[in-house]
Amino acid sequence: MSNTFESLRTILIKEYKLSPDQLSLDAPLKDLGIDSLGLVELLFTIEDAFNIKLPSDPVGLATLGDVINYVDELIASQNTALLPELQNI
Amino acid sequence: MRRVAVSGIGVISPLGNCAAELIKNARAGCSGVHRLDSEFAARLASPIAATVQFNPASDFDPIKARMLDRFSMLALFAANQAVQASNGALAELDLDRAGVFVGTGMGGTHTMDAGYHTLYAEKSDRVKPFTILMGMHNAAAAWIGIEHHLRGPNMTYSTACSSSTVAIGEAWLRVASGQLDVAIAGGAEAPLSQGSIKAWDALRTVANMDIDDPSASCRPFSKNRSGMVLGEGAAMLVIEPMDRAIARGATIFGEILGYGQSNDAIHMTQPSVAGQVAAMQCALRAAGIDLQAVDAINAHGTGTQANDRTETAAIRAVFGRRAEQIPISATKAMHGHLLGAAGALECVLSLLAMQAAVSLPTMHLQQADPECDLDYVANVARLGVEARVMLSNSFAFGGSNAVLVLGAGPDDHTELDQA
Repeated sequence: MSNTFESLRTILIKEYKLSPDQLSLDAPLKDLGIDSLGLVELLFTIEDAFNIKLPSDPVGLATLGDVINYVDELIASQNTALLPELQNI
Repeated sequence: MRRVAVSGIGVISPLGNCAAELIKNARAGCSGVHRLDSEFAARLASPIAATVQFNPASDFDPIKARMLDRFSMLALFAANQAVQASNGALAELDLDRAGVFVGTGMGGTHTMDAGYHTLYAEKSDRVKPFTILMGMHNAAAAWIGIEHHLRGPNMTYSTACSSSTVAIGEAWLRVASGQLDVAIAGGAEAPLSQGSIKAWDALRTVANMDIDDPSASCRPFSKNRSGMVLGEGAAMLVIEPMDRAIARGATIFGEILGYGQSNDAIHMTQPSVAGQVAAMQCALRAAGIDLQAVDAINAHGTGTQANDRTETAAIRAVFGRRAEQIPISATKAMHGHLLGAAGALECVLSLLAMQAAVSLPTMHLQQADPECDLDYVANVARLGVEARVMLSNSFAFGGSNAVLVLGAGPDDHTELDQA
């Protein structure tokens, strides 16, 4: 599993109180209780945690895997690193 | 106009998180007021408040909780409890004809405070995306509507300290007139964020802390009173036509008989006898009852000199000599001033007091102000006092006055059949 996936899992378990069993790559976000508004807030949290800047355009992300891919692309393009507290996960 | 029953009650307050706890503690004269011990409290002239004990993590889905300001959590907690207590008021109902009416004076203060902290103190632009949705005054009512799928009017009233009395009164008008079949009505307030509590501190209306006993700091009608004490909480009612409540075998907690409003139109903070008299008379006219029918009053009774003297004079002006025979309870001494939620909590307390045949005490009243010379049920509850009709007064900054006339409900169903 990618570092991004592990970091995102940590956020969802610690802050969203989701069960690790729910957090597969193909898990639909809506099944996790994250609707379109919830995604806005999750992306905000991700911006802080991953030290990246997300485009203001809305993005259609349906699964956890979609979010991982989206974040990985942005990390690569913005050449940023995880915040220190997430680097040792 | 249809008779309107209160068929559900929900409460989360400094005196308890259900109706049974609330009336038990109020009857015993308990105080929810205490000294605040946070680091920030050292910056307050009077570090006291009446707080609610609850654990959001156990009462709300964690993802949903991320979208809820504390005042919305309190509102939802009370509304859900009221719906549960109603034992099916929302079943077999056209939900287009079910509304939500919530009063709040301050709205989502914790959320707005956090946003300003980010912006000004941290000098960061990372203001959270849900700040507006959590901070807006109608968030609590909106969440109640979403939770229970209520598609009728979803209303929020903000008239400072009379907000939830107005909300219940307006809901009563809709149900009594036949526009709605069920309403959830009440108030919610969470005013103890740092910015909000400091702003109240700055207004210099907060009582001095009693050094020996901080829980006794709020002393309505007492000669040595020094002001109000902020409190947080929520109280909600489920109301519906009396015949529907009886037909479905609901527990009837009481009845809303009337509601009146007035505006002082004089001063932002100085209350007016004429304005308060007008609101009480308006409510009594709406209820269609004689002055003699009023058995007791839950006073606005904040513990400020201006309020207590004006309210006393207003009650005298409405009831004449009979005012001296009416027991008057100022329960804010125990639960603090819940601002926009105060009227709803005091409405609930009045209904429960009538059910329990008790006159609730006005605590910490050792010696009355000479200008406050009515029967305030000082310090000890009176048991076995039957009351069938009560007034619940709410008088707000800005001059907005609102009064509910509350009934104990029909003695039995025969009374209703004959009505």
